[in-house]
Amino acid sequence: MFDLSSRTAKLVFGGTILLIGFYLFFPIYWMIISSLKANEELYQVLPTFFPRNLTLSHYWSLMTESQLGLYLLNSLITSGASATINTILAIYAGYSFAKYRYPGRQPIMLFMLSAQMFPFGLLLISIYPVMTDFGLLDTRPGLILSYIVFALPVAVYMLYSYFSQVPDELIDAARADGASDFRIFHTIVIPISIPPIVTVFLYSFMWSWNDLLYSMTLIVSEDKRTIGPGLLLTYLNETNADWGGAMAASLVVSAPIVAAFMFLQRYFIQGVTAGAVK
Amino acid sequence: MTDVMQAPGRLDYPVSPHARKGGLQAAQRRIGMLMLAPAAIAFSIIILYPFVQALGLSFFEDTLQTIEPTFIGLANFKAILTDPETWQSFGITVVYVGGATIGTVVLGLGWALILNQPFRGRRVIRALTIMPWVVPSTVSAFVWAWIFNSRFGVINGVLLELELIDVPQAWLSTPEGALAAVILTRIWRSIPLFMAFFLAGLQNVDQEQIDAARVDGAGNSAILRDHLLPHLRPVLIVVVVLGVIGGLQDFDTIFALTGGGPVRATSVLSISVYRKAFEQWDIGMASAMGVLWVATLLPPAYFYLRMLVKGR
Repeated sequence: MFDLSSRTAKLVFGGTILLIGFYLFFPIYWMIISSLKANEELYQVLPTFFPRNLTLSHYWSLMTESQLGLYLLNSLITSGASATINTILAIYAGYSFAKYRYPGRQPIMLFMLSAQMFPFGLLLISIYPVMTDFGLLDTRPGLILSYIVFALPVAVYMLYSYFSQVPDELIDAARADGASDFRIFHTIVIPISIPPIVTVFLYSFMWSWNDLLYSMTLIVSEDKRTIGPGLLLTYLNETNADWGGAMAASLVVSAPIVAAFMFLQRYFIQGVTAGAVK
Repeated sequence: MTDVMQAPGRLDYPVSPHARKGGLQAAQRRIGMLMLAPAAIAFSIIILYPFVQALGLSFFEDTLQTIEPTFIGLANFKAILTDPETWQSFGITVVYVGGATIGTVVLGLGWALILNQPFRGRRVIRALTIMPWVVPSTVSAFVWAWIFNSRFGVINGVLLELELIDVPQAWLSTPEGALAAVILTRIWRSIPLFMAFFLAGLQNVDQEQIDAARVDGAGNSAILRDHLLPHLRPVLIVVVVLGVIGGLQDFDTIFALTGGGPVRATSVLSISVYRKAFEQWDIGMASAMGVLWVATLLPPAYFYLRMLVKGR
């Protein structure tokens, strides 16, 4: 787009890369480096940008002393289950919106879409007593169910946009051969839609994995605590100042989701921008 | 990837031909509704019902002290609207959302323009850019809290080294510092997403038009001003609306970083509602405040929905 042959253009281009790149990536670098520094080096008023000695001691204490493993397991269970439910619901709803016409379709679709804009904190106020009434407060199923709030509207929209582009000829041809709608959907449409389905799964998974608000409020017992509140309560209180541990834990809980997103980046960006959503 | 930005503009893809065929029609309708049913039920229970319930609760006095919620009409609203803390929260929300949105638009656009330019390592940088967006909110709060740390934070370290300050500053303990910190964290988290939108928009720009303009002697700034920015206007609108909605919804970033403090300096509406509901257990007041919060969301939400339906 831009012509970078002139000196000024090169300077502006390079300057912008440095400035924004530094802002974007320095915190990540700092997290990694801090997790690898020994405490003597970590707690210095003038910090070292390139550590003199690297140590895995913070990771070692994470494994031996902290509850991180438990939090990770809890997050894996709740995020995995809610993402699975969400994806299944969204697959059928998205396909229904894309390929069928029935009364109320348009208003229901609009309403579902608008739900991504509801403030989650407000919904929580009334989800809380509902969960209490049904005995779901402080249980994993309760948390898993309430996580549907976050990603369902977006998931439906992403799959809706994708299924809308599946050619009708393909479906009609199968129908002419006598296949039923459900059979066509399960054996023809779903197999060619694996990338968007995986994307939607991952998106739902990320929402629950990253959540702090719901897990903090709906889960009380320590043995069911997920990573968000788990980390917060472990490291961010007045008495504890184990920043090396906090950075190591941060890296451990971020790594899987970051890796997954890098791997599926292309589909993902496409899905999100197509959905014009958060 | 060619017309991803067009997609949100159309809710009405052409109707499948088989949906219209005479005798099949009723059966088709049934299958369609059947497929929608599970999501619709989940949606009603988890989103619609709580939402309506919260609206209703805002007309009741409902605290842990009261045994049965009592209907008190608009009293909660009156109390909320005459409470200076509400307006303080509202003001903080405006600064937070406005600051974060403007900052992210500028930096996200800048970054998209950079990453749209061919250079070595571009693919790697593009892939890495997603990181701030996908790390858990608690993690981003930790990282920034550590960067702003009053005793060993890197910001203090650098400023001390450059002799711009004499003693380490407790950034997160001053109202301005804390607000700036949460805005910076929010911008950091949102750049990747905004960048993705702008980049998608830039990839639709007609390169031939740019080349022609260049032959006519247009410089970089002229190309940016006369071609790229006008082309990006629809994307810009989407991004600003989504930024405002996302900022208004945001709770985690602030809660984890400052907890709404010091005192109430970073207590945006979401934090205030949460405090009222789950710390003071004043459900009625919290719901009323939540309704006010929804009211501030309505204009951008309406705008966004209209874009979805009508296209641009």
